[in-house]
Amino acid sequence: MKDDSRYVEIFNLVKAYPNPYGDPIRVVDGFELRIKKNEIISIIGHSGCGKSTVLTMVAGLNEISHGSIAVDSREINGPGPDRAVVFQSPCLLPWMTAYQNVLLGVKKVYPHGTEQQRREICEYYLSAVGLANSMDKLPGEMSGGMQQRVGIARAIALKPKMLLLDEPFGRLDSLTRMELQDVVLEILDREKITTMVITHDVDEAIFMSDRVCMMTSGPNAKVGKLLTLPFGRPRNRADVLEHPEYYNLRGSLVQFLEDESHPSPTDKSTANAEQEAVAT
Amino acid sequence: MLRPTPEKTKSTKVPFKYRLVKAVDVAGLNFLTPVVRLCFGEEPRKQLKDIGLYIVIPIVAMLFGVLAWFAVSEMVVTKSGKLPNPTETLSAAGSIWDFHFRENDKLSAFEMTGAQRDARLASVESRLAELVPLEEKINQEVAAEGKLAQERATQRVAALQKKYDKLKTKLDSESKEREQVLKAKSESVAQDDMAAKKAYIADVRAHRKSLEVAKDELRDLKSKIKTLSDLKDDQLAAAVRKQTQIAEERQYLGKMKDQLTKANRDLKVTGALEKLDLDMASFFDAEPSKMYAAASKVVKAESRIAKLKLSEYAKPSTLPFQIKRSVLCVFVGFFIGTVIAIPLGVMCGLSKTFMAAMTPIVALFKPVSPIVWLPVCLIISSAMIPDPDKHFLTQWMWSLPILGKYQINPAFLASACTVALCSLWATMTNTALGVASVDEDHLNVARVLRLGFWDRLFKIVLPSALPLVFAGLRISLGVGWMVLIAAELLSSSEGIGKYVWDQFNNGGSRSFANMVVVVFVVGIIGLILDRMMVVFQRLVSFDDSPTAV
Repeated sequence: MKDDSRYVEIFNLVKAYPNPYGDPIRVVDGFELRIKKNEIISIIGHSGCGKSTVLTMVAGLNEISHGSIAVDSREINGPGPDRAVVFQSPCLLPWMTAYQNVLLGVKKVYPHGTEQQRREICEYYLSAVGLANSMDKLPGEMSGGMQQRVGIARAIALKPKMLLLDEPFGRLDSLTRMELQDVVLEILDREKITTMVITHDVDEAIFMSDRVCMMTSGPNAKVGKLLTLPFGRPRNRADVLEHPEYYNLRGSLVQFLEDESHPSPTDKSTANAEQEAVAT
Repeated sequence: MLRPTPEKTKSTKVPFKYRLVKAVDVAGLNFLTPVVRLCFGEEPRKQLKDIGLYIVIPIVAMLFGVLAWFAVSEMVVTKSGKLPNPTETLSAAGSIWDFHFRENDKLSAFEMTGAQRDARLASVESRLAELVPLEEKINQEVAAEGKLAQERATQRVAALQKKYDKLKTKLDSESKEREQVLKAKSESVAQDDMAAKKAYIADVRAHRKSLEVAKDELRDLKSKIKTLSDLKDDQLAAAVRKQTQIAEERQYLGKMKDQLTKANRDLKVTGALEKLDLDMASFFDAEPSKMYAAASKVVKAESRIAKLKLSEYAKPSTLPFQIKRSVLCVFVGFFIGTVIAIPLGVMCGLSKTFMAAMTPIVALFKPVSPIVWLPVCLIISSAMIPDPDKHFLTQWMWSLPILGKYQINPAFLASACTVALCSLWATMTNTALGVASVDEDHLNVARVLRLGFWDRLFKIVLPSALPLVFAGLRISLGVGWMVLIAAELLSSSEGIGKYVWDQFNNGGSRSFANMVVVVFVVGIIGLILDRMMVVFQRLVSFDDSPTAV
């Protein structure tokens, strides 16, 4: 009955906002995607194209106008701990320590666990993100990177069916970002969670995911192109960078994004002029 | 395996200096921060500049204020005397304090027994004996100073007086002369010479006019002489002050002696017991016809002794007692207000429907003045508690550990309820705002985790609303304190307000100064209450943004 190649099914997804002077504005229109179990898929597109709208709809935080989303053969209905979200900002509760922030979700997911069991779960995931020594710190005492680690630990500790990452590293500097990418990949290799990553960073998309879903620019955004990446898991940054296909894949991604940024005719001519200038 | 991260190795030890700075900051004493930093030798120039700005300048401003006060107090002259200047106010504060201690002494004297009482009595008597010659001396001194002052006053006005006398004789003689001339002239005026008569009347008019001018001149001089002679004589005033001080001490010692001898509870009881023995004896010896009378005498004496044993010293309420009672009253009112305001505020913040229902009520009652609430509260509370000695609420309050000592009566409860009614709005609106403006991201976390209503309320909504709730509480307490003084004044509930009202009504020589003392007492207590709330607010704020001072 259950089909692992259709673990997550997004069917004809539409998000429309009412427009008093015309037809409703369809920000996302006919978005369709199937995600395999344990797959990491990244969604890439220009900012404002509706990537985050899709993710929040999958999370259940945003109402679906048309279409449907099913996770593990069950249609979603509102938010829930089976679809954990890591937001762009860490969204920790500032009056709770890192440990308490993680525990809040763990209590909900393991209602019958003993105090000791819950404690072990929280400590395990906080150590997994490298915060074994900072569990009792308040968010205000931690750097942005550390706070995001807590956010990741909190999401994964829920043992979700699906992990939704909404530009999780968008606000971090590039060194911290690479570090956290490694941390997340390491955990995902172990935990095997189906994951959707929103990003606008081409390298991040290639390094993190098994497939890249490119979205057309909004309004009426939908899946433009799907790209399957040939790298195995666990993967290593250097191996990916040295892979013979890497630059071709990167090139095609960049090309898609460039094609999607609808420049006006005058802009196009200047862009061509620039390209010529670079060529010469 | 997991790799160590740079954050992991960070030290958590914070140097003492920064902990001290943080403590000063949390305590709301930010003006001390540059002093602390200077003590650790951090950027001395900058710290000195800050000290100048936040400590020296305020002190200088206060000194200017005191000087201005001295100047103004000379100018404001009222029926109750001049506006007390800072020195007088300070001495009034000192005597309020003395009065408090002396009353406490009398209370303990009333309750003293045995050897302790004897020792105290001996010391009081020896001090009284010491005072007798002192008092005589000071009385003589005052008399002598009075004479001297009189002389000095005469000396001061001597020159002016001389001038006045001279002027008076001169003007008198001049006017007499003119009168003579005019009278003589009248004979030369012909009966039917209209022009001459008109001229004559003009002359008389001129004469009267110059007479009035002369009188004015004299009056001016006289009033100048009077002010000069009435000028306060500092030496005499100092002597009188010393005399009053000694007289007051003697009076206090006399009262102490009474409390230690004839008014003493223990002595009274012993005396009554001795009499009881006699009564008993006469009862045993009594003939049958007089037996009833003798027996009832014994029983009456017994019941009187029982009452005597329980009697208390009738201590007048001193200002420190009134202050404590006012502070207690404001906290009772504040507590009642908070208990009502926070749940209502939370409900308003959570439910738009409830908010819509409450808005007109809040809008209607918020501007109502305490002066209006108080009579309403007074009527209700005295209707609910017609007999405080028997009502369960007052009985219960009297049995409480701290509240019990402060004679809680319907007027106290009415004042507290007025405080509550006037102060709860700030807490309520701030709580509603805090609850309604919880960060959307935090609510999303709650939605993803599918937290239940109570979990969401206590783990997410209330903690994030807490800083605003405390901001509201701070305003409420400030409002409550202001309202309370007025409420006490009107309801005659013992407290600072009542103290001011009593001072206003008794019109003693010191009462004006006492009122000025109260101005400062109320201000200082209000300041302390406010700082206290700031500290609480700082403690519940999770972000590091500094609280407005």
